[in-house]
Amino acid sequence: MPTALSSTDAPPAVRTEFAWWRPVRDVGFLLQFRAAAVRRRSAFRWSALLLLLITVAVAIVPAYVPADDDRRLEIAVLMPTAMAGIFAISIVSAIASGGGRELISREQGVAFPVSPITDHLGALLLAPLNIAWLIQAWILLGASAYGALPEFLFTAQTVILLWLAVATAAAQVIAWVVEAVRRRSHGIFAMRSVLAGLAAVALWVQLTGRTTQTLDEIPTLWLWIAGIQGFTLGWFSAILLELVLLFCLIVLGSIPATLAARRLPHDELRAETDTHTPRPMPWTDLSALLRIDRASVWRAVPMRRGMAVLAVGPGLVAVVGGLPWSSITVLPGLVVSGGALLFGVNAWCLDGRGLLWRENLPIAPGTVFSVRALVIAEFLVIAALVTILLASVRAGVPTAAELTALGCTLVVVTLQVVGASMRWSDQRPYAVDLRSARATPAPPVMMVGYSARLALSTTFTGLLFSGLSRVPDPTVSLLVVVPFLAWSTMRLLRTRRRWIDPVERARIVTMVAA
Amino acid sequence: MNEQLPAVEVTNLHVRFGDVEAVAGVDLAAYAGQATALLGRNGAGKSTTMRVLAGLVPPTAGTAVVAGNDVRREPLSVKRVTGYCPDVGGLVTRATAWEHLQLAARLRRMTEWEDRARDLLERFELGDAAHRVTGGFSHGMGRRLSVALAALHEPDVLLLDEPFDGVDPIGVEATLDVIADARARGACVLVSTHLRELAIEACGEVLVLRGGSRVATVRASDMSGEEGARAYRALLD
Repeated sequence: MPTALSSTDAPPAVRTEFAWWRPVRDVGFLLQFRAAAVRRRSAFRWSALLLLLITVAVAIVPAYVPADDDRRLEIAVLMPTAMAGIFAISIVSAIASGGGRELISREQGVAFPVSPITDHLGALLLAPLNIAWLIQAWILLGASAYGALPEFLFTAQTVILLWLAVATAAAQVIAWVVEAVRRRSHGIFAMRSVLAGLAAVALWVQLTGRTTQTLDEIPTLWLWIAGIQGFTLGWFSAILLELVLLFCLIVLGSIPATLAARRLPHDELRAETDTHTPRPMPWTDLSALLRIDRASVWRAVPMRRGMAVLAVGPGLVAVVGGLPWSSITVLPGLVVSGGALLFGVNAWCLDGRGLLWRENLPIAPGTVFSVRALVIAEFLVIAALVTILLASVRAGVPTAAELTALGCTLVVVTLQVVGASMRWSDQRPYAVDLRSARATPAPPVMMVGYSARLALSTTFTGLLFSGLSRVPDPTVSLLVVVPFLAWSTMRLLRTRRRWIDPVERARIVTMVAA
Repeated sequence: MNEQLPAVEVTNLHVRFGDVEAVAGVDLAAYAGQATALLGRNGAGKSTTMRVLAGLVPPTAGTAVVAGNDVRREPLSVKRVTGYCPDVGGLVTRATAWEHLQLAARLRRMTEWEDRARDLLERFELGDAAHRVTGGFSHGMGRRLSVALAALHEPDVLLLDEPFDGVDPIGVEATLDVIADARARGACVLVSTHLRELAIEACGEVLVLRGGSRVATVRASDMSGEEGARAYRALLD
């Protein structure tokens, strides 16, 4: 006889759900939740389509570009190193963001039963929504299409696509392990020791001239060769191996993710309970505002971690690669763009709900705007200067033209990026809590859009001044810089005028403090 | 009928956010040396009205004059004469309590402010946490510091939005003392809350808002007791 469920019986939907399936379904629900919050759906769909089209184009078109075999061979030889390169970038990115991005922020997710495994799967899904990852992936796919003959395009690209997934999943596992260790007592010291050890090994490899030999021994070589030989047994083996690895890594990642979730992050806790010795009264209103804005930036865990990675990473690559000054000119644009993505693109979120109180302080809104722009600019310039300083170690003495071009690039890209950041901060403010290393100032999809636009403009500027650094007369760079500065200053002033408008400012303050 | 000029005078105030009308024709008058409570359910328009009076949100229509300053035309003057405790947060997460007080003192041109700041911190039992970043503060600690910040410069108009929310009895007592002190020195105090008992204890007059409009202005004593509770309940529906 059928009976109703007793209070101790689970409903049928719960009873039939397997424990391992629950996190996967939860990821789906969270994705739906995030998708529902997308403000401009049409723009979102077009952006997604554009990303897909770019990916398909870079994966196919280069194979049909006319080129001699020697050139194709040169690119093919570099492929195993490039495959290892994206693995390294994925590791750095996942570690810097404290285990990867969150599908739902800690503050929002506290009311929901989001398991560490769901969090792990979400971070994996969001990993490609990162411009550094995307550009490297496109370069890898493009190089693979170019290096492989058209008849082997399908086999080569399947190997590479699966490699991208494997590298990202492996990086995620490493990042969770690092995070789990960092959260133990003395964990931060342990991880810094490991990092120092790795840096020492890299330096030793470089100084003993074994870089090429080491790169030749990277195991990705076997995968690449299997991909460019067509439908052979080697290709089937490679695909099978990658699929098995991918599955194992995804499952394996849930273990350190769970371990990390059981412990509290020391650096974030310390940042929240830190005490600071009082300093004398600032002399001017401007210095008072600067002081509190700088505190908001430099005391934040994501900003400190991000600054370390952004400033030191490209500098070390430049040192290892022995970049000349004309190439170093491109670096400030990359560093400055990356720096703005840490908080600048949603600059008013630095105050969080404190913005309501700050808005009641009797100070001209224009001054508040100028100080915020200045604080972003100094953060970006410091990061870029550290990179340039590191890169200069092996670059020799620059000529006057190279030095002028570099200086011009730094000034222009900083103004461009600060202008864009303040403009976006006014147009699309978000209520974001930047306490966690995993927090981003805007939703992941918006971050991809911001980063793509910043990367495009700053790379163009960098390449232009890189060309000008080869012109012997430094005056040329100084002349070219004028229209750039005029345009960016005009746009920044326009944004400032918008902020001064009380209705517009009220909208921003209300949204940031929501 | 009060014969003195109101310190805060709001006439037919409207505030719209897109299609939403947060305040739909509020009128109020509050006087120096008196404390007035804004009571009402969530979404009644209390916080938006307070934000208008603090110079944060400009009115869409109507007028609001604070200590003789029109909030639309002279927002900076309004900010000089008001002290505002926002309803949510209200603190810069990575700055210390002392840094908040220092910034407020600097921008309000206060001299010899340290003793008053220390006194306020002690009254709100925040003396030990003065140099800690506020990101680690509990909700109640944050509320208490927000009230202290609003009262630091002894403003002509003290605007406290949900000052008792999540605050322990000692914090409530300190807040009531701050309100009493402000009234004693002739300041106008506006307290927005949904806690009827505390509103009655702190204020002499009560305005009840519903759906963005004022539905009643009564003496606080008329809202006390079971009779007052029933009357208040009837005004909310």
